[in-house]
Amino acid sequence: MQGIILFLLLASTYLMVIAKRMPALIRSFRYQSFFLFLVTFLAAFNEKVIELYVVSGMIILVKVFLIPYFLNLTAKKINLDENLGLFVNSQLSLVLALIFTYYSWVLSVNLGFGQGSLQSVAVTVAFSVIFIGAFMMISRMKAFTQVVGILIMENGIFLFASSASGGMPFFAEIAIFFDIFISVVIMGIFVFRINKLFTHIDVNKLSRLKG
Amino acid sequence: MLNLLTNNLFLFDPLALFFLAVIFIVSLPSIVYSFSYLKGEYSTAKILLAQVLLLAFVLSMALVVSVSNCLIFLIFWEIMSLVSYFLVVFDTKQAKSIQAGLIYIVMTHIGTAFIIAAFMILHNYAHSFDFFAIKNACQAMPSQTKDIVFLLFLIGFGTKAGIVPLHIWLPYAHPQASSHISSIMSGVMIKTAIYGIIRFVMFILGVNSSWWGILVLILAVISCLVGVIYALMEHDIKRLLAYHSVENIGIILLGVGLAMFFTSLGLPYLAVFSLIAGLYHLINHAIFKGLLFLCAGSVYKATGTRDIEKLGGLIKKMPQTAAYFLLGAMAISALPPLNGFVSEWLTLQAFFLGAFNVIGGNKLFLGICAAMLALTSGLAAACFVKAFGVTFLAKPRSHYAESAKEVALPMRIGMLILAVLIVIFGLAAALIIKLLARVSGSTLGIDISSMTFSLNNFTLAPQTARNIYLSTPTLALWLLIFGIVGFVIYRIFGRGKSVIYKTWDCGYYKLDSRNEYTATAFSKPFRVAFSFFLLPYRKTQKIRESFYHIKSFSYETHTTKVFKKYIYDPVLAIVFKTAKAMRRIQLGSIHLYLGYIFITLLLLIIFIGQF
Amino acid sequence: MMIILQIILFILTAPLLSGLITKIKNNLRMRKGQSIIQPYYNLVKLFSKDEVISETASWIFRVTPFIVLSSTLAAAILIPVFIFASSAHHMGDFLALIFIFALGRFFLALSALDTGSSFGGMGASREMFISSLVEPALCMVIFAISLQFSSTDISAFSGMHAITVSSVVAAIALFLIVIAETSRIPIDNQETHLELTMVHEAMVLEYSGRSLALIEMASYIKQMIFFFLIAQLIFPIGGLPLGNFVQMLLWVLWCITRVVIIAITVALVEVSVAKMRLFRVADFLGFAFVLGVIATVCAILGV
Repeated sequence: MQGIILFLLLASTYLMVIAKRMPALIRSFRYQSFFLFLVTFLAAFNEKVIELYVVSGMIILVKVFLIPYFLNLTAKKINLDENLGLFVNSQLSLVLALIFTYYSWVLSVNLGFGQGSLQSVAVTVAFSVIFIGAFMMISRMKAFTQVVGILIMENGIFLFASSASGGMPFFAEIAIFFDIFISVVIMGIFVFRINKLFTHIDVNKLSRLKG
Repeated sequence: MLNLLTNNLFLFDPLALFFLAVIFIVSLPSIVYSFSYLKGEYSTAKILLAQVLLLAFVLSMALVVSVSNCLIFLIFWEIMSLVSYFLVVFDTKQAKSIQAGLIYIVMTHIGTAFIIAAFMILHNYAHSFDFFAIKNACQAMPSQTKDIVFLLFLIGFGTKAGIVPLHIWLPYAHPQASSHISSIMSGVMIKTAIYGIIRFVMFILGVNSSWWGILVLILAVISCLVGVIYALMEHDIKRLLAYHSVENIGIILLGVGLAMFFTSLGLPYLAVFSLIAGLYHLINHAIFKGLLFLCAGSVYKATGTRDIEKLGGLIKKMPQTAAYFLLGAMAISALPPLNGFVSEWLTLQAFFLGAFNVIGGNKLFLGICAAMLALTSGLAAACFVKAFGVTFLAKPRSHYAESAKEVALPMRIGMLILAVLIVIFGLAAALIIKLLARVSGSTLGIDISSMTFSLNNFTLAPQTARNIYLSTPTLALWLLIFGIVGFVIYRIFGRGKSVIYKTWDCGYYKLDSRNEYTATAFSKPFRVAFSFFLLPYRKTQKIRESFYHIKSFSYETHTTKVFKKYIYDPVLAIVFKTAKAMRRIQLGSIHLYLGYIFITLLLLIIFIGQF
Repeated sequence: MMIILQIILFILTAPLLSGLITKIKNNLRMRKGQSIIQPYYNLVKLFSKDEVISETASWIFRVTPFIVLSSTLAAAILIPVFIFASSAHHMGDFLALIFIFALGRFFLALSALDTGSSFGGMGASREMFISSLVEPALCMVIFAISLQFSSTDISAFSGMHAITVSSVVAAIALFLIVIAETSRIPIDNQETHLELTMVHEAMVLEYSGRSLALIEMASYIKQMIFFFLIAQLIFPIGGLPLGNFVQMLLWVLWCITRVVIIAITVALVEVSVAKMRLFRVADFLGFAFVLGVIATVCAILGV
């Protein structure tokens, strides 16, 4: 059961990689967060820890509803072209994402999580989500994507933490959620400001600002 | 490692108490002085900020010398440097202040970097930051490590003290700060660096190799000569005084270096004596340099300019300031019976006594160093004849000097306190040496209870030689008696009439202040004599109306700034070139930067995965 | 006290020495010259004249003659001379001597700048230049002497001592220094008032009357002090042998003769060489410094 959900999580991550427009990206992010919620909920159900219930509730509230809502709001305010500029075209991105997945599988085996166990699968998925999030930040032109890239990486880290070590301390998780939320709001403001100042959020064109 | 706040955080041994005394003796008159100095220069809010910064500065220095933990020492050292930086750039309207502050903060941080490196090496051996723990661990340290730590400390503290060639910030920073800040910086802050050297090299590391002392002596002699030669060429009062600080730090380090040298040779009493000479000159310099800077500030406040070529005749307009400046000038030129004379005599005596007790070539080395000290004191006297004479005597050379008035009472009180201290420290020399003997004995760990430094409380007698005495009260008494005798002869034997008339003008009717000797002219023989070092060059420009008639002729003479041109500028050029070359990886694209991070991350994971 | 008597004798005979040198110089120049006691006549004349003080001068100008005289007299106390080979050696030693002279020189240079005349500034500048170059040479000489006697006290070498190579070389160096300090040719010319050639005279140009008399007195006494030091180095003499009258007489004669020998040498040097350019004085005094180093090396080697 959990394996299937993890696989679905990975699939939604691949969906993000091949997304060419902003609404698609945000939708895939929503799916990914939903599957993350399911994983946490199942873990809470199995271990019967109250805190995990609360955490999964926060995931669904913040990451599935609130953050995508804010991102959509920002996108609409900017009122510009929905295309995410792609440095690396989507087919090549998908190939790279698969390579990252293989790479994180090798990594999880080397880290000694036991081949074939559920934990190693979870760690694999977590690492690949992290790498793919970083890759998203690098290979997409719009500043917006970098915000989403951070959020994806956060998802991956959360998954890794909960699978490898049984979750982080409760308050750390609360704090991280709060952090993420605030960062999104701030980045929304920033992107708006960048757009207002430069009338575009194409980060590539900001390359004149160098030392 | 986290035993930062141990119980014994402060250490009030005699050395720390001595430095605390130095700090407060110089800071209190400056604080009194600052009350009327800052009035009228800045708005009230800014004056309040200046006073707060001043108090923070004094407090941070006091804490630097009294803590016994390396980390806390560094914290207060940094606070001291930062607060003094703010005080240097306080007058933000002048571009020179900003430049001076930049040079100062860069140099002081380079020094702090070296100090931190030395601390880290010490911590490696002692596994603790406490002074006493490090002192115990240093006895087992291998000799090469000790050498490296010594060099790191010397460079680190030397940058702050102003040893040549690390002195370059002093002539920029001291003139730009307000005068009472300059007096505290020059009088006290540089001395905290000497405290660092004494505490860390002599007390904690323990001197065992004689080349340490020789290196410090050579650096000190070079600092003395370079400082005083550059001071002779200066015509900005405060920059002149700043270069004299470099020279006097050299003299203090002569005493300290001798102490290191004698400790390593196993002559404990001589080491104590040399350290007494160094510490005495330290406190003397703090007092008279503090006084001189306050006087320079009074002159600046009254006339509006620091250029002595535009001043003159101030002795009639500002008699009290002139008297204090004269006293300070006499003290720094080592004239009896004031305090500068006593400390320079002690330093020379330390050289001579050392020469009696060492063997062979060391004697000649000590003799030549002593001769260089005599040379610098002669040059310093020449420089102060110029500074006092051109500023205060003869006729005013410009409208700046003509409109001068005596300064307000708080400033005069500040100067009076220091002037009185100069006289006291000169006359009560024997008493002060007794106190300093305790300080240096405890620092070097030598038992001084069997040393007798004076017969009665008025005469100094260094114990390790026979029949050498110095008694400043007796000297002062005889000088006074003979002066009175001369006056009596003057009154009794001569005809009583004195006529006031114009200066001898060779028959030219109208002589004015343009005929007076300028400061540039005064220092010309020195410029020529030391031209191999100063590399003077001149720029002339003639504007002709015809072949025979020159309308105007402008003449400028400059000395080359040797250290800046040959050491600092090339180093800066290399640094900038390297930075420019490294700029090529910075292309301005955020994606590239993120890509750098990502690739580094991947490589790191592979790398760690290998292990 | 003995010291006071000694000082008074010293002061009274100082101008005589200067008169002697002038007489010898003049005779060597094939002139009859002034009498030996002419300096006394000059002093009496100066005391009886009015004084003209410049209107730009301040209290420093008026106070300087007293300071110069008192510093020179204080230095004279430190020298063990004449009959009573004792001195106020509890007051200072050879090193203190340098600084005491520096006191007088400092104020003299200041008073020269005080009047605002170009002559004064020029004299002060040159004088400070020369004196600052004299200092290392003098220090080296004192170092060489002190190494021999293991003490910087002047009374250490006031007794009989062997004449070593070191003390001879030190005496030659001291001789060169004395030429600089007492403003003799080839450094300075005491007889001229030309701007090109004066150093000491330029500083005291504005002084007249009683103040000038005091300053002249001070320079005579300073010269006497230095000559006694050199004489003690090369021709050492012990204390006064009380008892035998003939021996006492001979002692006094020898004491005077050795100083006269030095005076004659100075006069010969003054007559034979020309005054040097100011900037060559640095070389001259550098040579004195090197001689001092040689004397030190000889003292270290024990020669």
